[in-house]
Amino acid sequence: MDLQIFIQQLINGASLGSMYALIAIGYTMVYGVLRLINFAHGDIMMVGAFLTYFAHQLWGMPFELAVVIGILGAMLVGILTDKIAYKPLRDAPKISLLITAIGISFFLENLFTVLFGSTPKAFKAPEYLTKIFQINDIYLPISVIIIPVVTVLILVAVLWILFKTKQGIAIRALAFDINTVKLMGINADKIIMIVFAIGSALAAIGGVFYAVSYPSIDPLMGIIVGLKAFAAAVLGGIGSVTGAVIGGFILGFTEILVVALFPELGGYKDAFAFFFLILVLLFKPTGIMGQDLERGRF
Amino acid sequence: MKKVTSIAAALALLSGIVIAKEVKIGVVLPLTGGIAAFGETSKRGLDLAHEQNAKLSNGDTVKLVYVDDRSDKVEAASAAQKLIDKDKVAVILGEVASSNSMAMAPIAEKAKTPMITHASTNPRVTKGKKYVTRACFIDPFQGAVMAKYALDNGMKKAVVVTDAKQDYSVGLSKAFKKAYTAGGGKIVKQVLINSGDKDFNAQVATIKAANPDIIAFTGYYNEAALLAKQARNMGVKTPFIGADGVGFPELVKIGGKATEGFMYTDHFNEAAASSPEAKAYVEAYHKKYNKTADSMGALAADAYGMILNAMNACVKEGKASDDKECINAHLRNTKDYKGITGVISINEEGNAVKSAVVNEVKDGKFEYKTTVNP
Repeated sequence: MDLQIFIQQLINGASLGSMYALIAIGYTMVYGVLRLINFAHGDIMMVGAFLTYFAHQLWGMPFELAVVIGILGAMLVGILTDKIAYKPLRDAPKISLLITAIGISFFLENLFTVLFGSTPKAFKAPEYLTKIFQINDIYLPISVIIIPVVTVLILVAVLWILFKTKQGIAIRALAFDINTVKLMGINADKIIMIVFAIGSALAAIGGVFYAVSYPSIDPLMGIIVGLKAFAAAVLGGIGSVTGAVIGGFILGFTEILVVALFPELGGYKDAFAFFFLILVLLFKPTGIMGQDLERGRF
Repeated sequence: MKKVTSIAAALALLSGIVIAKEVKIGVVLPLTGGIAAFGETSKRGLDLAHEQNAKLSNGDTVKLVYVDDRSDKVEAASAAQKLIDKDKVAVILGEVASSNSMAMAPIAEKAKTPMITHASTNPRVTKGKKYVTRACFIDPFQGAVMAKYALDNGMKKAVVVTDAKQDYSVGLSKAFKKAYTAGGGKIVKQVLINSGDKDFNAQVATIKAANPDIIAFTGYYNEAALLAKQARNMGVKTPFIGADGVGFPELVKIGGKATEGFMYTDHFNEAAASSPEAKAYVEAYHKKYNKTADSMGALAADAYGMILNAMNACVKEGKASDDKECINAHLRNTKDYKGITGVISINEEGNAVKSAVVNEVKDGKFEYKTTVNP
């Protein structure tokens, strides 16, 4: 295959991988502190995209402000989900939490179907995000460069929070041993709320990026992306933030490159993502970064 | 004498009221889900037709029982089953997507309940069935229309993009390929996508490398819009040709300027409405909904008209208006029904032999180009 096209696909893969990475971070952090796979997380991404669409296109706010509203709204939904659905089940068996998460997922999807209808909506992004620029024969929408760069910056910010702030120490301590932390007099619920807030904010940013790249949004858009982000988190080592990002990029690259190299297999590209997940679970369930949760490393 | 006549009149009236009953038509549509736009517009056309004509010649009222199948074929099948078993409908109308209609057809066939799909074009929906009819043309014809239009416009090299998840797309691609190569065209590449996918950059790269004269896309509007947009973003200037699955306002809303020049075959275009039935429908549609009258709504209205036609014929023969066998016989034998989308005659396979129109997206609107007769 042409080198130019290969490079173009690599860049596309990086962009797609960033979106998976952003959402995977949320999955992995919640798992780290609660040992819960928050299946509603993919739908938080959808909430972020829809609230931005709503604020920008139906309320007429400037795009940047709409994105902020989307992020804040998603954070609110994430925090409320924890308060209403997960907190009462803190001491319940893990299966109950899982079922509740799936229930919240259905609830969010159907709520937004009722509110917005299920016909896909056109998401309008501002010119500076959708401009195409051309190098030789490579055409790139500017978003494809912005997205990975912003993702790496966010990753650095999240790691800084985790390792350089008091709340970060608390989060890592919670991941290590939740009961001892409570005995130490730390308000575990408040820390968990911060984790949900960060994760949901990231998912919302991922949702906005996704909507900018593929400007057709619908209430069910979070399902498949959420599942793939979860696969990415497991691939990278669930509980590890760096692992989530690595897993996200690996998944993004493979998905794009599989279709680029074998176009006849284009119908099976989702199968590859989940095939990876199965392989990882069979041979190295702790993922690439390994489970360092026991050692308090995130 | 007066007393007798008045009693007789009262009795006649009473018997009229007692005898007039409710006949149910079960409607399965994708009112939510990936192809909700098709379901919504179908419902609009159907409601309009029902509003204008809800009574049979013997006074029976026709009732529409709607079930939403959420664009899912499993749900479509259970919807059909529910309508037959629980609601005891006389006829089933639906669905839009061939995959979903094909899930419903065996159920209707087994229960000997007539089913008419207004928009499914894959030949397998009616193949080998006695109780399934359709109000539209089938894909071997539609694929040939697409192929001929492309070849007539000098496009001799094509890339075919198929939606692997939809029977409609798979069947139509096959039909297009057959007609295109028979007419002297060359298929330089075949590319697969999945409905529900959003990222087609890899497929676009493949298309770009193959450098065709035309891209034949046989899937639905959502993917068409995204594919067109990503293709134009990557500098691919090749024109697109599609079929009745793409002709929706959402194509332009989502795809924007990238969809300019997108050609597609369809069942109906309100700008080309020439028959009195078509003109009346378009006018009533505008009045009620203030929207462009599209093909799905027109086809649904035609299917409804055909059902009422069949029911009235049964009543004329002295049979009950919900006699399933009789309704089916008349549906399958429909000849020269003056519909909105054309004059409809059903052949022995249960398919309609009708003309297709070719439209093109121009300035964000669907411009009528030509009609192709079978």
